[in-house]
Amino acid sequence: MNLATLPFRNLAGQPVRSGLTILGVAVAIAGFIALTGLTEGAQHSFASGIDEPGGDLVATQRNGYSLLSGSLPEALGKKLAAVEGVDAISGLLLNITTAADQANVVISGWPPDSFMWGNLHLTSGRVPKPSETSGAVLGETIAEALGKKVGDTIELQFQPYTIVGIAAFETILNENIAIVPLAGLQESLGREGTVTLFQIRLKRPLDPEGVDVVRDRIAAISDDFSVSTTSDFAGNLRFFRLMQAIASSVSAIVLATAVLGIANTMLMAVNERTFELGILASVGWRPKRIVGLIMVEGFLISAIGGVIGVGLGVLLMYLASWTRLSAGLIEPYLTTTLGIEALIAVLLAGPLGALYPAWRATRLLPAEALRRT
Amino acid sequence: MPHLLELRQVRREFDGGRIVALESVSLAIEAGETVAILGPSGSGKSTLLNLLSGLDHPTSGDVQFTGKTIQGRNAWADIRATRMGIVFQNFCLIPTLSAEENIEIAMMTQPGGAALRRQRALALLDRVGLSARANLRPALLSGGERQRVAIARAMCNRPDILIADEPTGSLDRKNSFATMEMLSDLHRDTGTTLLVVTHDPSVASYCRRHVEIVDGRIVHDGAQDAAEAQRATVSIAERAVSP
Repeated sequence: MNLATLPFRNLAGQPVRSGLTILGVAVAIAGFIALTGLTEGAQHSFASGIDEPGGDLVATQRNGYSLLSGSLPEALGKKLAAVEGVDAISGLLLNITTAADQANVVISGWPPDSFMWGNLHLTSGRVPKPSETSGAVLGETIAEALGKKVGDTIELQFQPYTIVGIAAFETILNENIAIVPLAGLQESLGREGTVTLFQIRLKRPLDPEGVDVVRDRIAAISDDFSVSTTSDFAGNLRFFRLMQAIASSVSAIVLATAVLGIANTMLMAVNERTFELGILASVGWRPKRIVGLIMVEGFLISAIGGVIGVGLGVLLMYLASWTRLSAGLIEPYLTTTLGIEALIAVLLAGPLGALYPAWRATRLLPAEALRRT
Repeated sequence: MPHLLELRQVRREFDGGRIVALESVSLAIEAGETVAILGPSGSGKSTLLNLLSGLDHPTSGDVQFTGKTIQGRNAWADIRATRMGIVFQNFCLIPTLSAEENIEIAMMTQPGGAALRRQRALALLDRVGLSARANLRPALLSGGERQRVAIARAMCNRPDILIADEPTGSLDRKNSFATMEMLSDLHRDTGTTLLVVTHDPSVASYCRRHVEIVDGRIVHDGAQDAAEAQRATVSIAERAVSP
């Protein structure tokens, strides 16, 4: 036995109390991971989904609240296409619906001449002909989930569509997409003449400085829309900022609760073990050493709880992403930053929670502590 | 030559001065002495012991160790860690640790690795006849065995003084006798100063010097009367062998 193993022995000596506190910390960390991870997952899902069809820049309504509520006049496309350095543009109308009351489907309206059709990786069938108003291409995952194949029909936005192609995608958003002709979708949504956003493909070769120059040129056209890279645009949406703020607030509350939980447990532990701490003092342990022991116990509780919490959080993220509400829209997204944030929270929570109980433990004179059997 | 331990005009109050446990107590303990502090229940003898060991601090007055006034918890902790061993009436063993670990924990403040601590703890348990029960927790030991573990713990850092607070108070006659014999042997073999707080004259008879305390004041301090010692020794021996 040594100073490193003694805190383990002390925690193991009170398995129920230690276990419940560890569980409390684990739930708090899991909440932090799941909430933040899902928020970032949703953002990442939309960003990567928009990035996949091959655009370099995205023009969206300025200060748009959410991706779906954004609205730009379709006529803006001509001005965008005329900007020096722009190779091609494509308007895009997005909505989320359910198919056959079973699954979430991202329905996306593309114009017949969109450059994005050329970037599809069809696994069967073809893209709709310009004359077809009710042809649809489905992502592989949603086609499998609904048991649909080329030639079948599917009802989307109360409109029947014939599936003319199945395409493979790399992102979860697009794997659950139904791509239909723009004009028909505009009509069924009552949004004639408008699109959600414009995908902008720039002329090659492409360098970061060149992208910035073209972006500035596009932005100079009007103050009514904003231009960003496909990877950045989701972060600019107010909806995601709101989600991040909510996730951060809730995470902060659950982490604070975890700290208080540790403090409460350590306080109870110190109260229960006042006699033991008195024994340590009676055999010559300095107050600082006793404080250290309690702090290490607090750290161990939070570290063990943190490790379990990260695992639990990841599991929760996956479970949440599989629910009917979010399936196909959100993918779990655990970044290094998120992991580090959780780690910092864990490293701070234990010692912070144990600090006051440890300080209190050393306030008592050993004789007084030894009377508390 | 300074006294090993000394109280100078010590007063200890409790409850904001409503209770005065000790009043103007002065007492000097010399190295190598065996001292019994006697007195009825509530006389202040345990308070006196707590002050002598730094487990409690006086309201006024000085407590000196080897001629130096000791102040502050760290200074007292260091003395208890290196130069003082304490044996309590209720053993004061940590219930979640084994007999051996209870001894090791008192050595953790000193240099030396875990292997060395374990080796010494086992040697001490062997000395008090408990080597076969080294891995048992206190709950699985008898009262006498627990007190022997506590004595082994008190001796682990080779103290200058061993302070025992009612060491036989929770023991039966046979174990009381064995415990006092063990403490006496330790004093004889190592020269450790022995200070025993007790209300039992037969326990006190193991000590040459008797200090009697009543109502927080020392009323007698002197060598044990030879006749009294003889009576007490006979009494202890009779009690130890009686069923």
